[in-house]
Amino acid sequence: MIRFNLNKIKLIFLLLLSELSMAASFEADKRILDSNGNIIPHALVKLEGQKAMLVDELGKIPQGRMAEKVTVFAMGFESLQLSWEEWVSREEIILKEKSGNLQEVVVSATRTERSVEQLPIPVTVLTTEQIQETGGIRLSEILREQTVLQITSNHGSGLQMQGLDSDYILILLDGEPLIGRTAGTFDLDRISVSNIDRIEILRGPSSAIYGSEAMGGVINIITKSYQNQSDLNLGLRHRSFNSWNPYLEMGLGNRKWNTQLFLDHFQTDGFDLRSEVVGQTQNPYRASTAQLKVSGELSEKFKISLFGRAYQEVSDGILETGSAIGAQLLDLGNQRRDINFNPTLRFKPNADWTITLRGMSSWFGTLSETNFRSSGEAFDFQEFSQFFHRTELQTDYMANAKNLFTLGLGQVKETVDATRYDALNRFDAGYFFLQHLWDPVSKVNIVTGLRADFHSQFGNRLSPKISGQYQISEKLSWQASLGAGFKAPDFRQLLLNFNNAAAGYYVFGANLAADGIARLQEQGLVAQILINPETIGQLNAETSRAINTGFRWKPSSNTQIHINAYRNAIDNLIETAPIAQLVTGQIAFSYFNIRSVITQGVEMDVQVRLLENLTMSGGYAFLDARDLDVLDRIDNGEIFKRNAQNQTRRVTRADYGGLFNRSRHSGNFKVNYRENYSGIDLAFRAIYRGRFGFGDINGNLILDDDREYAPAWVSYNLTASKTFENGLFLELGGTNLLNTATPAQPNNPGRVLFIGMKIPILKLINR
Amino acid sequence: MKTIQKLIFTSLIAAFLISCDNAEDLGPLTPLEVTLVEDLAAPNDEIDRNTGEVIQARSFQYFSLELNELVEENENWDIAFKGTTIRVNSSKNVTAAVVSGVFEEITEVPASAKFNTDTANSFAIPTGSGNGWYNYNSATFTVTPIPGRVILVKTAADNYAKIEILSYYRGNPPVEQIDPRTTPSGYYTFQFVLQSNGTSKF
Repeated sequence: MIRFNLNKIKLIFLLLLSELSMAASFEADKRILDSNGNIIPHALVKLEGQKAMLVDELGKIPQGRMAEKVTVFAMGFESLQLSWEEWVSREEIILKEKSGNLQEVVVSATRTERSVEQLPIPVTVLTTEQIQETGGIRLSEILREQTVLQITSNHGSGLQMQGLDSDYILILLDGEPLIGRTAGTFDLDRISVSNIDRIEILRGPSSAIYGSEAMGGVINIITKSYQNQSDLNLGLRHRSFNSWNPYLEMGLGNRKWNTQLFLDHFQTDGFDLRSEVVGQTQNPYRASTAQLKVSGELSEKFKISLFGRAYQEVSDGILETGSAIGAQLLDLGNQRRDINFNPTLRFKPNADWTITLRGMSSWFGTLSETNFRSSGEAFDFQEFSQFFHRTELQTDYMANAKNLFTLGLGQVKETVDATRYDALNRFDAGYFFLQHLWDPVSKVNIVTGLRADFHSQFGNRLSPKISGQYQISEKLSWQASLGAGFKAPDFRQLLLNFNNAAAGYYVFGANLAADGIARLQEQGLVAQILINPETIGQLNAETSRAINTGFRWKPSSNTQIHINAYRNAIDNLIETAPIAQLVTGQIAFSYFNIRSVITQGVEMDVQVRLLENLTMSGGYAFLDARDLDVLDRIDNGEIFKRNAQNQTRRVTRADYGGLFNRSRHSGNFKVNYRENYSGIDLAFRAIYRGRFGFGDINGNLILDDDREYAPAWVSYNLTASKTFENGLFLELGGTNLLNTATPAQPNNPGRVLFIGMKIPILKLINR
Repeated sequence: MKTIQKLIFTSLIAAFLISCDNAEDLGPLTPLEVTLVEDLAAPNDEIDRNTGEVIQARSFQYFSLELNELVEENENWDIAFKGTTIRVNSSKNVTAAVVSGVFEEITEVPASAKFNTDTANSFAIPTGSGNGWYNYNSATFTVTPIPGRVILVKTAADNYAKIEILSYYRGNPPVEQIDPRTTPSGYYTFQFVLQSNGTSKF
């Protein structure tokens, strides 16, 4: 019933509970409400000199004896003290929500429930309201409005966090990793948002818990659950580019069992930023998601949950191929599918021990066909299918109120079969992790963790992390964390076997490079080996060491400020390098650990509640991301540039703009206003992305020329929404209202207008 | 425009040489002329994208640095172009080296420069992105000469020349205006300085 952990609020709650009295009679008609007029379930009423009374989930308040003073508590709300007269006379007792998200419970940071306030690492929680106010339909549209995140466009909408790309950010759905990346990018457009309850954003390496991929950070998407209630909602959203998004949510719940079904369909005509080129920037596509979640109590001590999800996406388009014979039209057809199945069994023999057994299986596949329109003959055909299975056993032991230990053990099997790979390839891995949550004194929280990974392909890896928080005063706390992260070489880097005949090059994954070269040598095709053959195939994990430190400051009850500064030092970045020159003049490439980069910066969020119905917030992020090898070469005078007059000169450090696709400055400004008379919520957001390096133009492949930048831009977004008394929800709005679009941002279609509604069918019937 | 550039280069070299006031310098007394060659057409073979087979073979374009013109294969050519490949005339013992530096600042053949000729298995001027004279940008599909790469050639007549490739696209357009789908490629624009007195100084 109540999960034991070190959450301070819950401890208060527990202390109060221990002296709880279960009264049989109830206060008639009296209700404890939030500022929106919704009943707050599980609030506590403390009559002076008496035991605290628990309000049930339907909001029924037990009756108590008369007392001088009455205090009303609820998690996430400011407590309220009333005199007996006030208590008796009021029918509605409205509690103020605590401002900010410090009370939000986070599960992904420590794999146990902790509030933001208690976590010594930088973490942001997006609530249902914050998700709703963006009007977004796909996950990328929610995340792009966050200070700490950028959405980049490379093989889909990828995430960038603290200057690290999508490859280094782990995406979790209800705590389980999502697989399926194209060229390293996890396409956020695969995730529909209408059934998301909240999103946790963890910055800094989390490999100490999650292993590979969690080098830059973790995003955990938590879907809705209907605890002890039933619901049936139908929604429909329409937006520019003939996009439609109907969805259905169904929840069935009683005290022991609950089931959620979610169906979502999205289709769009896509958009085109370059009409002079044949084919659209984004092709039309249709995507459907079905998700089923069943959870329940088998007994007092056993809980089980089953999660299943299926996704299917189909897109088509045209393309023109240029050749001397003349331009030819090509028809493209692409499919993506994704299936997840995660059963979980939880055993809680007593208050101190929790044992969780999780299974996770995931299938991801893509199919892409390109045919000549004239002849119907195949131009290109690519298939990719990946399977990932993980079994994990997690044990949490609450030694006492100050110490919580977690031990995890896991096993992973992964296979991939693809056109560009030889045969079916299999990876096996095992791991364990240890974590200690320690509150030595009330003002200090310390989290230490260590994870060991054992991998069949690239060896073993240890990832430690330590983070701590000190509560300087009621209003101010300081956090710091040090951690190591890594990313294992992926299938592509190990196993690719690709020959681009047209452009004239070969690419071998590290495992195949030696054989590949030997084969080419046998055929007499190798003119010259360009590297020491002994180094071929020695591919190690990419590694990072990171420090994060910051403050959470609440100068007044209406204001909160979060600041975090970080530095990530990343080594062994994997890139292709030439390994041999062939007699034809072609080059064969393979993958090597060659680059080292630094990303460092400061992230800041300020939120002020000016009035009960008016909140303003601002965010700013500064990012400096540089390639250390490029800096060395600049210092050695080895990099040159040529101006428009074809004059050559050496590149200086001052010319160097760092890594491509990173904005040095970015930020946002948001205003949330509720018009009290009509009950309409207005959310205005201005999202700024500073100029960023788009691509090399002057031939030296580094960012050092003003022409290589895409201009800064601001997206002005506005959403108006209203929830009617009967639960009907309507929304109307637009993003990028000034219609700023550039080919440098192929994921930005320009202005998008939207309208949507959600009908709570069951609520309407039951009224 | 191009003529003006040529004048600027010549006068720059002149200014530089005049400033070299070494009595023992047996170098040239008159400034060497910078020659600009524009739009030397050397398109690559037509290749089938699927099979990699050559649909239509094209011949190399043979260029004599001494004559500053295209010549026949059986004549005294120094370098030959086709697609992004540049050959040297191994039958006439032409050798070449690729060095890094600012074209104007290279006043002498550096001792470290390794001169090679073409063999059956290798090219004196390496092919492939980043290896020789160009970078291929896979994001924009553009071939760009690597700034600061200078090709040194010992010609069929045993003279040294330095060459800087300026563009691979017709009309030597500003790089940001190149559209790899529409701008014709395989058109070399380059500048060179030939030292015809047999010394290694430019």
